[in-house]
Formats: sequence, structure tokens, C-alpha cells
Amino acid sequence: MNLKTRKIAELDRVIHEPGRLMIVALLSAVEQCDFLYLQHETEMNKGTLSSHLSRLEEAGYIEVVKTYRGKIPQTLLSLTAEGRQAFAQYRRRMKEAL
Amino acid sequence: MDQIEKLMQRPKFYGNVDGVGELGVGFTFLGLGLLLWVQIGLPEDSVWNRMDVFFVCLGLLLLVSHYGIKAIKRRITYPRTGYAEVRTEYTIWSLVPGILGIIGIVLILTLPSPHWDLAHSRWKSTIPNAGVGLVLTMCYAINFARPIRWKWVVAGLMAIGAVAIASLPADMVAALDRDSRDFPWSTTTDRQMGVLLLTMLLDWALLLISGGISFVLYLRRTQPAAETEE
Repeated sequence: MNLKTRKIAELDRVIHEPGRLMIVALLSAVEQCDFLYLQHETEMNKGTLSSHLSRLEEAGYIEVVKTYRGKIPQTLLSLTAEGRQAFAQYRRRMKEAL
Repeated sequence: MDQIEKLMQRPKFYGNVDGVGELGVGFTFLGLGLLLWVQIGLPEDSVWNRMDVFFVCLGLLLLVSHYGIKAIKRRITYPRTGYAEVRTEYTIWSLVPGILGIIGIVLILTLPSPHWDLAHSRWKSTIPNAGVGLVLTMCYAINFARPIRWKWVVAGLMAIGAVAIASLPADMVAALDRDSRDFPWSTTTDRQMGVLLLTMLLDWALLLISGGISFVLYLRRTQPAAETEE
């Protein structure tokens, strides 16, 4: 296995999935945002977005806070320090591999 | 990788997705410009020329702008396209347009008048005045117009307006500032002040119009989301 192939194999699988990559890229540029914002930007349906968020939360990459805006439920999302580090590493490895 | 970089840029422009950022800036500065124009036209002992009245008006403009933007975001933007708090990372480059703008204005207000004398050279006088307008255009292009193509037309109008105003006949522009008092530290001619005021009024008015168009387009393109569990 050459070096480039090895770099690709080392990519973080949790982040590498296209849907989750979009989510993490967007979250990396914000302090926090709500579910609706991510849904609007990624154009995913609620179910798909929820499942990706659950996967990222399991990996410890995002923090999910359920709250209310007035009487309306609001889900606030932010990238954890671990998630930010993982995304930075993913970008670095991706650049090296390309 | 380019796609990822582009995606990471999107939240930076989300603050003005509804045009409210432009409306806020345009409202505040157009109000301030109009107040300055009123002050220039009135006698020195007019109540509008008192510093306390000026600061009260400025405070009111800032308050209306700040709470107006907040109210529109909370009632219209967040229920339609969601809430995002952008991560701000200031670098030295983000200060460049502001620094250039301040240097331009200071140069125009403080450089000796004879140097800019119209009788000797028309362009010597007009170039720095047009420069302020062009710096404002650059700020608009960087902060608001970059991701939206039709806003480049507004930026173009700003640039053309800056040059056109700086090229207006001297008597016409100087008449705007005919009754003004001179700042002790300034050697600005009436014409220069007139050009500066006209340029700023034009730019802030265009900003307000551009923000208004963005807001109407945003309302037409989006719908409030259904209030269901996420």
C-alpha cells in the first residue's frame, strides 16, 4: 500500500460520509446553530439529518442541547473540541491524500 | 476540498441572508448623514447643532437599528431558516478596509487646501473624494455583495456614483456646505465636504435599497417552518 492510499485509509469514517461532512463543515464555522439552520443549509430531511447528528453525537464530535425558543422546541448544536480537532485532522489528511 | 471550503464560508454570510444587516447599517448611517446635512444647513445656534442633541439622535438611531434587527431576526428569520451564531475569527486582514477608510477620510479632512485647489487642477481635488466612495464600495462588496451576483450591480452603482459626484461642478457641490463651520483641525473646502456628504448619502441610501430588496426576496423565497419536534 503506497503512502497516499494509506492516508485515504486513515480518514475518519465518521466525518468522511458526505452528509456528516457537510454538517461538520457547517458546524466548524459557527459557535452554535439550531436544527432548522442545518436542515436549511444541507437540504436534508429531518430523519436523515437526525440520524447523522446521532452518529456524530455518539462519536463525541457534537454537543446537542434541547431547549425552547418561547414555546417552540429548539435543538441547539455545536462542535465539541474533540470534533473540531477531528475535523482539522480530517482536512489535513485529505489534503495530503489529494 | 473546495466544496468543503465553500461550505465553511456559508455561515459567514448567513447574518445578512435576509438583508437585515444592510438595512441596519443603511438606516443608521443614512440617518446620521441626514442629521449632518440638517446641521450644516442650519444656523450655528440652532438646537440641532447642539452636541447633546446630536448624541441623543445618534443613540436613538443605534438603539432602533440594534433592537430592530434583533426583533426581525427573532420573529422572521429564525423561524424560517434557523438560527446560527457565526464563529468570528478576526485577523489583521479583516481590519484593512476599515483602516483604509479612516485614512482616506482623515487625508481629505486634514490635508492643506491649497494642495487641492480646484483652480489649479480639477482631478487633484476630486480623486481623494472619489476614493472615500470607492473604499465604501469595497467594504460593501466584501461584506455584503461577495456571495450574491445581483449585488455587484449595486457595488457598481456605488463606484460610478462616487466618481460622478466627485466630478460634479464645484459650485453645485460647495453649495451644500455653504453655511458650515470649519473644524479647527480641518482645512477642508466646502466642496470637499459637500462631495463627502453626497457620496455617503448616496452609498447609505443604496445600502438601504439593497437591504430592502434582499429582505423582500428572502420573504418570497422562504416559509416559516412547521413547529414540530426535531
